[in-house]
Formats: sequence, structure tokens, C-alpha cells
Amino acid sequence: MDLLSNLALGFSVASSLANMAFCLIGVILGTLIGVLPGIGATATIAMLLPITFQLEPVSSLIMLAGIYYGAQYGGSTTAILINMPGESSSAVTAIDGYQMARKGRAGTALATAALGSFFAGTVATFLVAIFAPPLTTIALKFGAAEYFSLMVMGLVMSVALAHGSVLKALAMVVLGLLLGLVGTDIYTGTPRFTLGITQYSDGLNFVALAVGVFGIAEILRNLEDEHDREVMTKSINRLLPTRDELRQMVGPVLRGTAVGSVLGILPGGGAILASFASYTVEKKLSTNPGEFGKGALAGVAGPESANNAGAQTSFIPLLTLGIPANPVMALMIGAMIIQGIVPGPNVVTEQPALFWGIIASMWIGNLMLVVLNLPLIGLWVKLLTVPYYVLFPIIMAMCSIGVYSVASNTYDLFAVAFFGLLGYLMSKLRCEPAPLLLGFVLGPLLEENLRRAMILSRGDPTTFVTRPISAILLLLTLGVLVLVFTPQIRRRRDEVFTESDA
Amino acid sequence: MSTKPKDKTDIATGLLLMAAAAFFGWQTRTLEIGTSLRMGPGYFPMVLSGLLFLLGALVLIKAFGREGEPFGKIAWRGMAFILPAPVFFGLTVRGLGFVPALFLAALIAAQASSRMKPLYSLLLAIVVTIASTLIFSYGLGLPFRRFGPWLQF
Amino acid sequence: MKMTLPRRLLLGAALAMGLAGTAAAEFPERQITLVIPFAAGGSTDVVGRIVADRMSKSLGQQVIVQNVGGAGGSLGGQQVAKADPDGYTILMGTVATHALNPLILKQKPYDPVTDFAPVSLLVLVPNVLAVHPDLPVNTVQELIDLAKKEQLAYASSGNGTPLHLSGELFKSMAGVDITHIPYKGSGPALTDVLGNQVPIIFDNLPSSSGHIASGKLKALGVTTKERAPSFPDVPAIAETLPGYETYSWNALFAPASTPPEAIAALNKAALEAMADPEVAKRMGEFSATIVASSPEDLGKHVTAEMAKWEPVVKAANVSLD
Repeated sequence: MDLLSNLALGFSVASSLANMAFCLIGVILGTLIGVLPGIGATATIAMLLPITFQLEPVSSLIMLAGIYYGAQYGGSTTAILINMPGESSSAVTAIDGYQMARKGRAGTALATAALGSFFAGTVATFLVAIFAPPLTTIALKFGAAEYFSLMVMGLVMSVALAHGSVLKALAMVVLGLLLGLVGTDIYTGTPRFTLGITQYSDGLNFVALAVGVFGIAEILRNLEDEHDREVMTKSINRLLPTRDELRQMVGPVLRGTAVGSVLGILPGGGAILASFASYTVEKKLSTNPGEFGKGALAGVAGPESANNAGAQTSFIPLLTLGIPANPVMALMIGAMIIQGIVPGPNVVTEQPALFWGIIASMWIGNLMLVVLNLPLIGLWVKLLTVPYYVLFPIIMAMCSIGVYSVASNTYDLFAVAFFGLLGYLMSKLRCEPAPLLLGFVLGPLLEENLRRAMILSRGDPTTFVTRPISAILLLLTLGVLVLVFTPQIRRRRDEVFTESDA
Repeated sequence: MSTKPKDKTDIATGLLLMAAAAFFGWQTRTLEIGTSLRMGPGYFPMVLSGLLFLLGALVLIKAFGREGEPFGKIAWRGMAFILPAPVFFGLTVRGLGFVPALFLAALIAAQASSRMKPLYSLLLAIVVTIASTLIFSYGLGLPFRRFGPWLQF
Repeated sequence: MKMTLPRRLLLGAALAMGLAGTAAAEFPERQITLVIPFAAGGSTDVVGRIVADRMSKSLGQQVIVQNVGGAGGSLGGQQVAKADPDGYTILMGTVATHALNPLILKQKPYDPVTDFAPVSLLVLVPNVLAVHPDLPVNTVQELIDLAKKEQLAYASSGNGTPLHLSGELFKSMAGVDITHIPYKGSGPALTDVLGNQVPIIFDNLPSSSGHIASGKLKALGVTTKERAPSFPDVPAIAETLPGYETYSWNALFAPASTPPEAIAALNKAALEAMADPEVAKRMGEFSATIVASSPEDLGKHVTAEMAKWEPVVKAANVSLD
């Protein structure tokens, strides 16, 4: 069979001693750099990119892909341990993962993330191998109208991210949308909300926002009262999940994998939604939604799987079309061109060894990641025994370097301080950062696609309902809306709110 | 002060949200709004500012008639030292160079905790600086100057 | 970080002493930073990294790449314009940083002529006019005829980019109106054209070439005066619209008043890099034409480009704050 021979070719390329070694080095380096607070996958790849130039094309891309998974996993580790997400996807993991860590379940959370990611990675790799070309056709059916409807659905879902007041969550989404609009309007070139600062003309830095509202706000919370502060390292129970916890993981992991695989294919920002969407799904299906936001296992298992599945399937547009779905992919395209490979549909036929080699190495990389990280969990958890006042100067130093290394932009560091303050203020006012973050990521996409759709339809707003995929997405949105605002669920939410969390 | 219960946190939230909405709305005034069919750069921001103001007002209204939680302590010392650290790093990394800028930024951040002893914070900053210089500057070859022009001559 | 006068004098004196004491050929004594004013992974970044790698060998010192993206290349350009003029900070300039931005931006971040010392014009990169295969046109003339009958739209990598202006120049020379749809970069613009959401695109030839070769895009014409060697079957737009010519280019610049010895050393290293068969092969795969000019010729090129684009920018009425 074609697929089998292709996969065999792939594995023969990827399992050569040299390529295995590069994959391993990539995974290790990615994990080690990605685990530094405030340094996410994009910054890690940008830092490590030059190292890969000297290699053969296949080895170079295999190592880059390894760095990518490693960095993603490392990013989740920091999100769980110290509430410091470096990418939009791990922000969702931070919500429940960090709460688990505070309750002494850091080991379980990390193991859940590792196992969920591995499963999702395996499934998504096979999806890539089998369905890459037909899936690409679907991705190309998404135009501006479809993306707009998809983003609307994402926004409606975002309300479910909050575990406090719905009203405040909505306000945070809108505030995030506004912050996301800072920068140059792409249709007219007009600067908006930049206060005349050219350095903000490409928008506010995402890492600055995430590090500020999550991580720095948390550091400040811990510094409030150092004398009777809770010591979260007091009770670290088992490192690995129990049989019962494993059973609880199955559903969320399966659903997360499905959600992530589907959304990852869309190059216009679908992958961003993957972990958020999975969190919403889990919370809605849960028999105990009140647990979410306070350390729900499903709140880690689902989004982490979705995130990793999305990361794999976002290679589909890259490999079949040569089109980058995110900044990380853009870096990989650059690496391909430097290696003398013209990215595009011909890569599959002209460079089968490269194409299938990368796919096979995806799986090998994921396997290495899980083998490497399960034993490391003990080490990561030990990090929590480092006194907090020693940890945070290190965190501040690392995130300063990480944010600065992306574009050498001093103003990004000012943004870190500003968002740290905003995040702390928000936590004092009991407003949650996750909806703000989602609004921030979706804001520009929402506006861009809305305006593009209107221009393309020559000002006819019915374009959103006459295009079938868009119409279906809007119907689904309506469904989610009904689900969010039905009285029964609302009552449940209010109960959650009155229980309240510290 | 009336004896009626009210949630002070939410009053503050509502007012701040409305203030933020007003700020964004004020910034929007110079932008061209356009029409619904042919939106200008100001259309989306205007709608969003309006929405944010409305949500802020709702939060404010709902704050009356129920008791809130206490505001709690505020980490003044933390804010005074944590927030300036990245700003300081950004301002000096080009002039002083990577090594001194990072050392001072880490030293500033270390002052945020009252538990940190001066000598210990110095030691910590030195260790962080050496480790980061080895990793980022020598190991990964990031294009930072280790010692900048302000320190030459 | 404007230098004060005493500091400038001090630096000048030190430099003079340095030059008097040691032979000028000893530049570079330490590593050189090549600022790329765009994000990593883009075409300027790729050209920059290939050249930097080879220049390191010639100069005997590492040329390291620093990406200072933002504001369409203005931030990186600004950083080099203000850097110490010692030859240790250089810029990978483009048609955007050294011709279009200074014409388009209301607040000029720098002057492309007086703030920089030219080093070498490295390569010219053709742009291409391509359409989705379902659009019933096969030549530039047929596209013009169709555009006169129907309202069409074209995608570009963004407002004020060389590709947008190539499109605007095309419209004004052909006397047609085609709606411009800007995107955030070439990638998303290409996606929508491949999916036939938008039928026409002006793109850099390197990023489109894979799709043209595989038939997913139909190339109607390249924007250079002559056909591109990598696509000899694709006519030049100038064959239908005589005089039409646009292209992107990459060139090295140092800050103004960099010592001529340093410029000469950098120019020599750049020329050696471009003469390397391996580099030439990479540039060929990239559809880039090697120029490898002298500093003087780059100076003239910048002036000529500004003169060429000024009327186009005015006619297209593009201006950014």
C-alpha cells in the first residue's frame, strides 16, 4: 500500500542514527529553553534557528520540529509550575494546571500533560500522514467570512473560560479585543491606540501580555503577605497519576485530540482556538463544572491534548501548501528556503524522503518527549521547593531576556511591566486573565476577517449566512450561546461564584 | 456611608472599566468610522469601547445590594521592585550591555521580598547573570553585546 | 541614543588613532551585527542569513544576524541609522526601508540617503502577477480586458508594501480598477488566492514559485523588465505594458560617516560572498538576480528608486502616519 511504503520510507529516514540524534537534541534543547519562564516556542525556535542551518535539510527540519514540540511541552511545564504561559495555547493549561500545583498535585498535572500530549501527537501524526491532501482542500474553503464566524464562536466560548462572574468575563473579553487592536490598521495603515509610539505599530507583544497578566500578577500576589503565605510545596504527593486519574483522563484526551486536530488544520488562526475550545467542551460536559478553575484534571488533559494535536496538524498547511499557520511555521519555511527547498505543494512529490521523514520524526519526537519528561517530572516538581523569593528574581531575569530576544524591542519590556500591573489589578478586582487573553488573540483576526469579508462581498452582510460553512459555524455559535445562558447552567455558575475561590 | 450592602470591589471594577472604555473611545475620535458596509479603522474600536462602557456600567449597578469580599493587602513593595526590573533591563541592555543590565535587573527584582538578605540577593544576581550569559550569549549566540558602549573608554 | 558632541569627537579621535596606529585592513576586530529589519523566516531574513554566513568566512569575524522587525522595516532601519558609525552594525536594507517607507511615512524615521553609507546592492528579486487557475484569463491583456468588464480584487502582503505598489502601478498603467485586499504578509495572502477567495495576487516570485511550478497558481507576468531566468515561459508584464518595471531588492548599508576602510572591507566581503558558487546557487533557487554592486552604485540606485516610486506613491495616494 502507498501509505505503508511512504511511512516506511519516512521511518527509514527518521530512524537513521544521525536524524534520531538531531531529533533528540532538538527535543532536549526545546524543553530546556522552553521551560525557562517567559520563553515560549516562538522565542525558543528563533534562538535555536541558527544552530540548525549547518545541517542537512532533513536533519535541520527534524531538529526544528523537535525543538518545537520540546518548547511547547516546556512551556506547559512553566505554565503549570509557576503560572507563566509563554504561548496562547499554554495559557489555558495554566488555569487549572497551576491550581493543581498549588494543591500539591504538580506531578499529576505534568504527567497528565505529557501523556495527553503524547496520545494526541500520535493520533494527529497519523491524520497528517493519511489525510494531509484532502484536509488541505477543506482548509482552503475557509475564506474571510468563515474565519469571522469561527472567531465569533471562539469568543462566545471564551465566556465559559471564566469561573467567576459572566459579566466581568465578557468585559475582559472586550478589553482584550481592544488591546488586540493596538497597532497599525492593515486596511488603511492608520495607527490606532499606539499613543504615537512607533514601536507599538505592530501591536502589543503577546508574550509580554501573557507573562504580565499571568506570571507577574501571581508573583505580586505571593508578595502580598509573606508571613502567612501558603506554602504550596508542603505536600507533594505522588508524581504519577493513579489508575483512577488515568481513567478520568481518557474522555478529555480523546475529545481534546479531536478538537485540536480539526482546528489545527486551519491556517488562519484555527490552532489558537484549539485549547480554548477544548476547555469549554470539558467544562460543559463535566458533571462537576465548579471544579474548573480550581484544579480540574480534565481542564489540563483536554486542552493539552488539543494543543498538541493542533500543533501537529498545523504542519498540514505547511507541508502541503508551504503556507505557515503561525510564527513558528514561518520560521520553518525560512529554514526550508535557506536549505534550498522551495516550499509548496511539490515538496511531497519532489522530496518524498523529506516529507515523510518529517512526519515520521514527529511521532518519534513525541515518543522521546514522553520518555524524557516522565522522569524529569520529579526534577521539575523539586523546583517548587526552591523558596519563592529566590525563584522570582530568576523568573524576572529570564522573562526579560525572553521578551527582548524576539524583536530586540525595549518597548516590549515596558509592556511587560504594564501588563504585570494590569494583571495584579485584575486579580485584586477578581477579573480573570484568560478571557482577556483570548480576546487579545482573537481581536485582530475578528476585525480583519470581518472587514475583508465585507469588502469581498461588496458590502453584502448576507455573505455570512449564504456561505454554507460560515452559516454552520454561526448556527453552532447560537447553540453554544443557548448552552451558556440557559437558566439551569446559569444557576450552577452562580453557585460556583458564591462558593468563590481565594 | 449608607448601611446598604455593596460590593466595593465591583464598584471599583465597574468604574475602572468605564474609565478604560472612555480612554479607548477618546482615542478613537480621530479615526475614520466609515459605514457598516465599508468600515473604517475607527468602526470596530468605537463599537467595542461602547460595549465596554456598557459592561462596566452593568458591573457597577450590580455591585449595589450585595456584600463583597475584602480587598486584602496590596503588594506595594513587590510592585515597587518587580515591575521596574524589566523596564530597567530594556533601558540599559543596549547601553550597558547584556551582562551588567541583567545583573542589575535581577538585583532590583530580588529586593521585592523582605525575606531576601542583601548579601544573598547580590549572590543570587551574580549566579543568574553568569548562568544566563553562558546559556544565551555563549551557548545560543544571541546577538547581545555583553558590555555596551557606555562602559567603554 | 544621540551621541553628544564631545563623545563624537572622542570617538573620532580614538578611531583616528586606531587607524594611524594599526593598518586599516585590520577591520573587523570583533563580531559584526547585521540587523535584519524584518522577522526571522521572511525572504529578507533568508538572504541576510545566507550572506552573513559567507561574509563571516571572508572577514574572519562572525557576522551575526539580529532581527529587529516592526513598522514595515522602519525600526531596524532607525536602529542602524543611529548606531555608532564604526562598521560593526550594518543593515540589510530593502526597497521598503530605502525607497518606499521614506516616501510613504508622514513622520520620516530616517533619511535613506544622508543617514546611511551604502555598502553594496546584493540582489534584485522579481515580483509576479499571478491568478487562481479558475480565473478565465491566460495573459496580462486578457486580465486587463476582464478587469474592464468586472470588478476584480487582488491580494497583497500589506498596505504600502512593494507588492501593493506594484499592483497600484499596474492599475494606473493599464487604466483599470481592481480592489486591493491587504493581508498581514505574503503567507495569508497566498492562502486566500490558492483557495480562490481572492482571484489575483501580486507576490514575491520566491514565495509563489512553488505554487506556480505545481500549477496551483497561473503566473501571468513577472514585474521585471526582462523575463526571470527561473521562469523563462512567464512573460514580463512590460511586454504588454511597456515601461512597467518593479522589483524588490536587498542591499547592505552602514550608518553614515562609517570610515571608508570599513566600508571597503565590508563591500569586499559582500562581493566575495555573492561570487561564491554555493551562494549563487541558493540565490538562483530563490529566483534572485545577483548584482553585487560597488558602494557608489548602490548610492545611485537608492536615488533612482526614490525618483521612480515617488509618482507611484502619489498616484496611489498611499500614506501612513
